[in-house]
Amino acid sequence: MNRRDFLSTAIKAFFTLLGIITGVIALLFSYPSRIRRPVIEYFPVMDEDELPRRGVRTVTFRYTIQKKVLTSRAFVVNHKGSVYVLSPVCTHLGCLVNWHRKKNQFLCPCHGGKYDIEGRVVDGPPPKPLTRLPFRISDGKLHIGMKV
Amino acid sequence: MGKVFDWIDSRFGIKAPHKRFLQRPLPERINYLYCLGGISFVLFLCLLVSGALLSIYYVPSQDEAFQSVVRITREVRLGWFIRGIHKWSANLLIVFILLHTLRVILHRAYRPPRELNWIVGVCTLVVAFASGFTGYLLPWDQKAYWATEVGTSMAGTIPYVGRYILYLLRGGPDITGSTLVRFYSLHIIWLPLTMGALLWAHFHMVKRQGISGGL
Repeated sequence: MNRRDFLSTAIKAFFTLLGIITGVIALLFSYPSRIRRPVIEYFPVMDEDELPRRGVRTVTFRYTIQKKVLTSRAFVVNHKGSVYVLSPVCTHLGCLVNWHRKKNQFLCPCHGGKYDIEGRVVDGPPPKPLTRLPFRISDGKLHIGMKV
Repeated sequence: MGKVFDWIDSRFGIKAPHKRFLQRPLPERINYLYCLGGISFVLFLCLLVSGALLSIYYVPSQDEAFQSVVRITREVRLGWFIRGIHKWSANLLIVFILLHTLRVILHRAYRPPRELNWIVGVCTLVVAFASGFTGYLLPWDQKAYWATEVGTSMAGTIPYVGRYILYLLRGGPDITGSTLVRFYSLHIIWLPLTMGALLWAHFHMVKRQGISGGL
């Protein structure tokens, strides 16, 4: 093999290899990193008799997604006889809102978003009401549903 | 592989005319400074490939653009890598085009008969700048927003017509979701197509006119 043939083969081999590597990377990149459909899984949060008789109660709870332990917060509300669970994530830019008992409102510390006890926007920049989380009461406990 | 290519080429006939060009002897005075244009072209190809890949996940809407970029960087497999390639190729492309321009100036390679190729080259530089400017808005974060605010405001200071150019660029008086979609369209369709046509003309003239005598 002379010099010219060697270089020609080497260059062809280099570009073939480059093409293969690029192809593999492109395939890996475009293949979805999450195949499973998101499933709502219920995690026990508090005992049933701890439910607020009236008003809002903030709960902090732990749950696991793919072996990762995460801590989350939610508001359990009993208002006019109906119980529901609100997510504390402000719909504006995702800060965590706080319940202000005297004003009877959820207040966002970041940009002044205000929500009433049912999560409806009263004032400020939020575009949507607070998200209601799915929940159920079974075995004497309140379970909150999270997307897993 | 070779046989498949030969089968295609016996009908397509693209090998022979290019063989003459690709295997011609180069002048002896050629040195690595003559690679700057070729490096720029390779970077352009990297941008095309990585950009095409990024467009699979990028969402050009004011509500989701930022989130989709975060997702590309954090969740998509090798997303950080492809995005890094796109970013660094873009930065280096400008650097290498400028170095290539400097080389052409110093060698006075813009003189006849290559004036038109110089003009085409300058257009390429402008399109590269425009691609960089439009691409900078796409992550849709604070830096992107304010850079575009400043950049388009400059166009707005042109006497008489400035205001209309500003509206044309922004798609309205302010930077909104319609600006984002506009820049996205420019960035992924109009500018790359223009760039492709310009580069074709550029290389065509290099082939026809040969490499200049230098200093």
